Amino acid sequence: MADYVLEVKNVDKVYGQGDTEVYALRNLSFSVKRGEFMLIVGSSGSGKSTLLNMIGLLDRPTRGKVIIDGVDTSELNDNELSTFRNSKLGFIFQFSNLLSDLTVLENVTLPRKIQGTIQNSADEAKTLLKTVGLENQMHKFGNQISGGQAQRVAITRALIAKPAVVLADEPTGNLDSVSAETTVQLLKSLNRKLYQTFIIVTHDRHQFGEVDKVVTIKDGRILKEEMEANLA
Amino acid sequence: MDYRAQIGIRFITRRRGSLIAASLAVAIAILVVQVNSVIFQGLYDAIVRDQINYRFGHVYITRQEDFITKSDFMLVNWLERIPYVQAAAPRIDSAASINATIGGKIVRDYSVPVIGVDPVLDREASTMYQTVAPGGQYVSYRDSVVVGAIVDRDLGYPQVGDTIKLKFKDQFGNDILRRLTIVGITATAGSVGLDNSVIMNIDTLREILDRPHQTQSILVKLSDPTKDTDVKDLFLAAFPSNADKFKAQTIEESAEQTLSGFRSGIALINLVGYFGMMSSAFAVVTIQMMQVTSKTRDIGVMRAIGAKRKDVLLVFIFQGMVIGAIGAGLGTVMGVTYTAYAKETHMTFQGSLPLEVKYNWTSIMQTDIMAFVLAVIASIYPAYKATRLEPVEAMRVG
Repeated sequence: MADYVLEVKNVDKVYGQGDTEVYALRNLSFSVKRGEFMLIVGSSGSGKSTLLNMIGLLDRPTRGKVIIDGVDTSELNDNELSTFRNSKLGFIFQFSNLLSDLTVLENVTLPRKIQGTIQNSADEAKTLLKTVGLENQMHKFGNQISGGQAQRVAITRALIAKPAVVLADEPTGNLDSVSAETTVQLLKSLNRKLYQTFIIVTHDRHQFGEVDKVVTIKDGRILKEEMEANLA
Repeated sequence: MDYRAQIGIRFITRRRGSLIAASLAVAIAILVVQVNSVIFQGLYDAIVRDQINYRFGHVYITRQEDFITKSDFMLVNWLERIPYVQAAAPRIDSAASINATIGGKIVRDYSVPVIGVDPVLDREASTMYQTVAPGGQYVSYRDSVVVGAIVDRDLGYPQVGDTIKLKFKDQFGNDILRRLTIVGITATAGSVGLDNSVIMNIDTLREILDRPHQTQSILVKLSDPTKDTDVKDLFLAAFPSNADKFKAQTIEESAEQTLSGFRSGIALINLVGYFGMMSSAFAVVTIQMMQVTSKTRDIGVMRAIGAKRKDVLLVFIFQGMVIGAIGAGLGTVMGVTYTAYAKETHMTFQGSLPLEVKYNWTSIMQTDIMAFVLAVIASIYPAYKATRLEPVEAMRVG
């Protein structure tokens, strides 16, 4: 039996009611194995960010199920969803979204503080920050570092609680080409080194080169699902 | 430190403008309450002080519906044996008529209060002798009289050494006319009851009223004013009311008529102060709402990475606690500084009555706690609004 870390089953997301109903996602189903590096690609407005919000438990599907690490998340209440997001998911946003009033180190350890597992969290955060080359920036505030550095901090923040899946929404979308390339390489190396599952939403599929899986979305439907063997 | 406290503190301390505005709102509310307290409680205490010093002492002894017939010498001696009693003095309150000039018109048989005092004992039990204007002296020999500044005015400003005619009625209703020599003129700040009176030797007054050896009241001055009830109880136990019909009252009881209205006034003024505090709470609500708006994205991020709604609530409650604590601290400094200024400069009410300024630490603490609690309560609604933000929406708008 395959070790699926994520299963999306017949997910619909509908906005509005009656005549004004709009399907943002329609009958989406796919699954992701542990340790896979997967891309969700599509043009602007295709529904890929909506899908990421469903997978990230930031929004609930109108119909269908999202199963993460064997747990049917449709059964969870608001508090349980928060706890689940904290322990099973890591987030990397387009604009890094660091808390500007916290230092780099405090930003990275925040998920662990929320989790209540603060023991060794600072040491682990320092190790991760060293991995991404930011050991000298950890006492700076979130708004005192560059966009590329902020995105690397966001990556370490997403990893600190050892989540089952890391979700990234256009992680290179706000970066210059050099920083974007660095970020992509960093994500891929972390995937290999930590056997960490990554699901990345992007409109630029080629930037990521070889990956395990690509799901292409168009008009809220899966246009095609390519596995490693079929990828060029 | 709890991460929610840390974020709350950082959110507000790194927005100095908001922190200063909100803390000042709290501090100014405390200052208003403090200023009210210094002025109006100070005025109340000044009136109590003057009522003690001039009219009633700490304990005021009278006889129900009649004059005291027991020897004043014996009663004073008995009272002065109590350790807390500093001095006691007998008095008689009466009235006399004068021919006054009021508003340029002669008013015949104008009634003025007359206070009969023991020239020696009264100096120990009362500070009334200190109100005599320079150039004069307190009642001494039998036919000497001290007139209040208002009476002096109404009499056409007679000077020390001049004589005045006073018409009394003795206890049988007979008119007694006496010529007395002015030895001093009293002027009390705020005209606390003496400026419209005439003070004379108690023995002379007894003689005029035909009440030999009788006394109307005894003022008792205490070295420890907190023991007033003890002294009152001791006295009444020694002289049971059914036998002597004595009545002993503490200052709060004897001056009740004067003070009760004033107490209501203070309560009203305090209410105004506390309404001011409510206004500061609205300022805190407004500033906290602005904080929530400016931190919408951060709230969204926190929620996305696993913070529960209650965690977001606590962030803004901690923020309110910081505002309350800094505001209370600042307000206390401002209030105590004002109190110190009022005390050192012997601040007077409307330029006359010197306020009795005290550092009322209990009241200061109560006000601080109330301001702190109000700042926290004022943060609840903004904090609640913050918890209602959905992560996706918050990150999009923020």
